[in-house]
Amino acid sequence: MTAAEARDAAPAGVTVSLALQNIVQEYPAADGGIARVIDGVDIAFDKPGINMLLGPSGCGKSTLLHMMGGVRPFGVATPTSGTVLIDGKPCIGAHDDAVMVFQRYANRPDLSVFGNVAFPFRLSLWKRRVPEAQRRQRVDEMLTAVGLADKTKLFPAQLSGGQNQRVALARALVLRPRILLLDEPFGALDAPTREEMQKLLVELYASRPCLIVFVTHDVTEALALGDRVVVLSTQPAKVADDIRIDEPRPRSSSWLRSAEASRVEERILTQLHKVSAGKGAVRVTI
Amino acid sequence: MDSIWNPYAALAAATRRTLGVGAVAAVLVLWSVVAASGLVGPTKLPAPWAVVSALSYLSWHEGESLLLTATLWSVGRVLAAGVLVVLVGIPIGILMGAAPRINALLSPLVDPFRSAPVVALLPILVMWLGIGETMKIVFLFIGAVVYLIPLVRDAVQAVPQTHCISTRDLGATPWECIGKAIVPMAMPRIADAVIVSVSVMWTYITVAEYVNAQEGLGQLIQNARRFSAMDQVFAGIIVIIALALVTYQLMLLVKQKLYPWEAKV
Repeated sequence: MTAAEARDAAPAGVTVSLALQNIVQEYPAADGGIARVIDGVDIAFDKPGINMLLGPSGCGKSTLLHMMGGVRPFGVATPTSGTVLIDGKPCIGAHDDAVMVFQRYANRPDLSVFGNVAFPFRLSLWKRRVPEAQRRQRVDEMLTAVGLADKTKLFPAQLSGGQNQRVALARALVLRPRILLLDEPFGALDAPTREEMQKLLVELYASRPCLIVFVTHDVTEALALGDRVVVLSTQPAKVADDIRIDEPRPRSSSWLRSAEASRVEERILTQLHKVSAGKGAVRVTI
Repeated sequence: MDSIWNPYAALAAATRRTLGVGAVAAVLVLWSVVAASGLVGPTKLPAPWAVVSALSYLSWHEGESLLLTATLWSVGRVLAAGVLVVLVGIPIGILMGAAPRINALLSPLVDPFRSAPVVALLPILVMWLGIGETMKIVFLFIGAVVYLIPLVRDAVQAVPQTHCISTRDLGATPWECIGKAIVPMAMPRIADAVIVSVSVMWTYITVAEYVNAQEGLGQLIQNARRFSAMDQVFAGIIVIIALALVTYQLMLLVKQKLYPWEAKV
């Protein structure tokens, strides 16, 4: 079996699909008209993998991710038209199997690290789904997996940005979601911490694969992590390119500097430059 | 940057204490000088030592303590009204903060009273409820609850929306989101609101006790004024201020014990 074939075979036991069908999003514009920010986006993910949603800042990629999570910003109907399908069924509202992680962690200031990761089990949904005997063990395992086993009693305000994002990741992964939606999760971190967190995500994914949609505007991050990179144009957002990367993870820095990586990067940048033409910003950090 | 005109300068505890004690001492000295000089008569401004002796007279005289009895009555009323204020004000404030429709419905009924003279309601309450305990407790209750409700609502609304979104994303029902996420995070500010409301009650207690004065610190002051015993009036006011300060500090301590995480944020 080649590497590509191995990738195409779904990891054991996880079946999942997530599809955006002809998604359109319009907002009332400042001039009184209507601004179409997302114009007919079709994307389908049908197996576990790390899928990068890459586009310039403000192109609407976060809005797309929120739609997948069924999280509606208050006061605006999203999407204006189109359908989000999870396992073939239209998804309205927050889906139990899709969990989001936000750029600003959304950790609870009033709960310890342990309390934050264990918080979902205080909700009736997860009380129903996970037997009590397993909860504590899952939380402990997760805290060890993200490297916070010795920080369980601390509060978020006592943690660094990277540690806070570990808490947020642990809180999502402790639920063993089939779909993990990451909204620029490492965007607020400094470069070394960002790399560390990318490594952690690769490890966590390897131990329990799921369908990850990872929003970023960082081309290097997309190259380091993605099985697939969906490039979005901006104003309005459309799928500009959809690239598969077969290189196994973790990807070495020598691969990231290789001719193959450069070719992919070139292709992404060409698309971004073509579509963004000064609108928004794309970060390249090599 | 080390000038005295630096709002961010950290002040050593000793410096702060010296300045605070100094200010109080300065007022006491000025007060003593004015009183001793005889420029102002003792029926208008009693000397500090006269106030001290009035305090001791009120504390213990002929086998009874007028001050203790009065204090217990006043504390009892504040306590009774305080329990009511908390039981009614916090749930209503939370509902208003959690549901814009409830807020729209109730805020026109509550908000205007924050700036309205609640004291002006006293004659109406006397007409409706008579001059007994019920009237006094209801007066204190209204005076404080109109502060508490809006403050609790604001505390709930101040919890960042991201927490609500992320909790709902984890599968929380709307009620779980409010009960298990929003309210716990709003609790320190809600506790602050309770502390403010109780302080407000200490300012209203004398007014409540002026009517049909029979027991309480307000009555003690009113009674002393009637006999031009200015030293006792001063003594009563000092006791009320002290009580208000002590309750304030105690409640602050309890709050810090209950929500230690707030200091870390």
